[in-house]
Amino acid sequence: MADLLVQQAVNGISTGMIYALVALGLTLIFGVMHVINFAHGEVFMMGAFVTVVAGQGLLGLPYPLAVLLAVAAMAIAGWVIDLAAVRPLLNRAEGQTDVLLSTFAVSLLLADTVLASHGPAPAFAPGWEGSLTIGSLTIAAQRVLVVAVGVGLVVLLEMVLRRTDFGRHLRAVAQDRFAARAVGIDVERVGSATFVAASACAGLAGALVAPVTMFSPGMGHQVIIMAFVVVVAGGMGSVTGAVVCGVALGVFESLASVFIPQSMASVTVFALLLVLLLVRPQGLFGQRR
Amino acid sequence: MRRRQLLALAARFAPVAAFALGTVFAGAAKAADPVKIGLLMPTKTLVGQQGVQGAELAVRMLNDQGGILGGRPIELVTYDTAFKPAEGVAAAQRLLTQDGVKMIAGEISSTVALAVIQVAQPFGAIFMAAVPKHPDVTKSGYDRVFRLNSTTSMDNKAFDSILVDEEKPAKVAVLAENTDYGRLVIAHMRELFGDKLAFSDTYEVTQGDFNSLVSNAKASGADLLCIAGSNMEQYGNIIRLTDELSFDADICVMPGILNSKGVSIAGKAAEGAFSADIYVPSLDNAANKAFVAAFEKAYGHKPEKIEELGFESIWILAKAADKAGTADDMGKVAETIRSNSWQTPRGDVTFDADGQASSGNVYQLVVKDGELQVAQ
Repeated sequence: MADLLVQQAVNGISTGMIYALVALGLTLIFGVMHVINFAHGEVFMMGAFVTVVAGQGLLGLPYPLAVLLAVAAMAIAGWVIDLAAVRPLLNRAEGQTDVLLSTFAVSLLLADTVLASHGPAPAFAPGWEGSLTIGSLTIAAQRVLVVAVGVGLVVLLEMVLRRTDFGRHLRAVAQDRFAARAVGIDVERVGSATFVAASACAGLAGALVAPVTMFSPGMGHQVIIMAFVVVVAGGMGSVTGAVVCGVALGVFESLASVFIPQSMASVTVFALLLVLLLVRPQGLFGQRR
Repeated sequence: MRRRQLLALAARFAPVAAFALGTVFAGAAKAADPVKIGLLMPTKTLVGQQGVQGAELAVRMLNDQGGILGGRPIELVTYDTAFKPAEGVAAAQRLLTQDGVKMIAGEISSTVALAVIQVAQPFGAIFMAAVPKHPDVTKSGYDRVFRLNSTTSMDNKAFDSILVDEEKPAKVAVLAENTDYGRLVIAHMRELFGDKLAFSDTYEVTQGDFNSLVSNAKASGADLLCIAGSNMEQYGNIIRLTDELSFDADICVMPGILNSKGVSIAGKAAEGAFSADIYVPSLDNAANKAFVAAFEKAYGHKPEKIEELGFESIWILAKAADKAGTADDMGKVAETIRSNSWQTPRGDVTFDADGQASSGNVYQLVVKDGELQVAQ
């Protein structure tokens, strides 16, 4: 039993890191721009798609290059989404609601474009193949990579937020757009940069997942629900909250599946979220507004 | 005078002549009106797309043969059900109320099919369920429901002895999709293996990560892993994970599910996996040869069971309407389906009183050298 619990905890950390990477971008955008980006799941899916196409299909690139290409492509996609579907609407009276709808439209556009061009067939990207075995513990090498890159990214993001001018500007806009503008910060530019960084995170998550669970056009819809749970539980806008709650959710799901049916584990997650929202509406790491 | 009499005569018979001509032209127009058949499938999934390909090929072949009912072409109206009963109900309502459809074919999921039957019944429409396997699909009491795929109980008759007498597992693990069908399979395996069933759990039809499930199955010590889920993306992924997690069990995919796309997704981990099915593309009969040749020409690869059932669902409905001489009287068409034998690629298909189809054949399948083959 102890072996199984350790195995499931390790499984949970890798699954949770995927949740965290997707939630990270979602919470960054909400924290800085106070909008919910419904297209974020599809950017994650497109990251996996570009990795598959670049790695196996048209270009035949080695996996690390395919990942870099996916990250760059999704960074550009984030900039375009901000330019076309967010920035023009944000200053309207009901701007935040309009952005909700416009990003939802973008998500449908991206999902249906991939379906129409590629079809519903899943596809693999050849990642880091093989498994690591330590005693009775077995973990796929690619999952180790997911965890390592995830930790690295979180550390990097934290350093950028704390120690660079861009990070300070970003935190200033997150705290008060008006005051940030008053001290000369280009708020729109910071908003665009946030979208680019968040989409690059989602693209990286997709690129890392493609060899683990395969690419499929519906993967964006599946992951975004759990990412929302993570963002809300962690506190909307909290980077720390997204990472801690993402990993905790993954570990909880995996460990719970040992004792209760998997479907009940998911029910328990949503029930706990409801209780959390009643007791602490701002989330575990969020600030009371 | 003579001229005036002729004019009077013409005036008197003009309405009659106009009516007669109108009737003739109306009749001609009706003869050319397409017969609409609704197709429900989870079109955004691989398995749904396979069903659509088969159905579209049937329409093309029927229309190439001159259509039905004296030259009326078949028109397919296709909607996505996304494996969700609510989507299936909405699509069926659209077919029956907006598209003027009286015959509905297709679908993969039993749960969706059971919901669609509730919509079809008040309209008196025929529902030809292609792939759903739950026995209740043909137990609703509605006499215009038919089902082409084998049921889980038909599968059990053919497959149980292979599992128990030939495979002889010490411990069994079952992973099943969280649907009526999946839960039914788990219940049957519990009955069949008793204490030997060391682990069972369900997964959601939209799930993408099966690491926890496969780890639990491995930890149960099972030497046979059985998978029950119609979505090949999912069972392919589960089989692949057994290799990744060094889970060294024999793999059985429940009858009617395993196909070459799933084998290709699973990769080398699928080697030795076994199953059974009611159709293989190598069948030696004229209807199958024509079907396989037309399918390969259209899509560049051989059809499998899902494609065949998609094809068959449209083929039998159209042929039955033609034989009954009507595309409007669904009672007559349903009776014609039930009282005749239908030549299809898998052989001669007949329906029992409940509307369950059978061709009497089940083939044992095994994955060998990366390909799905009929077991010797």
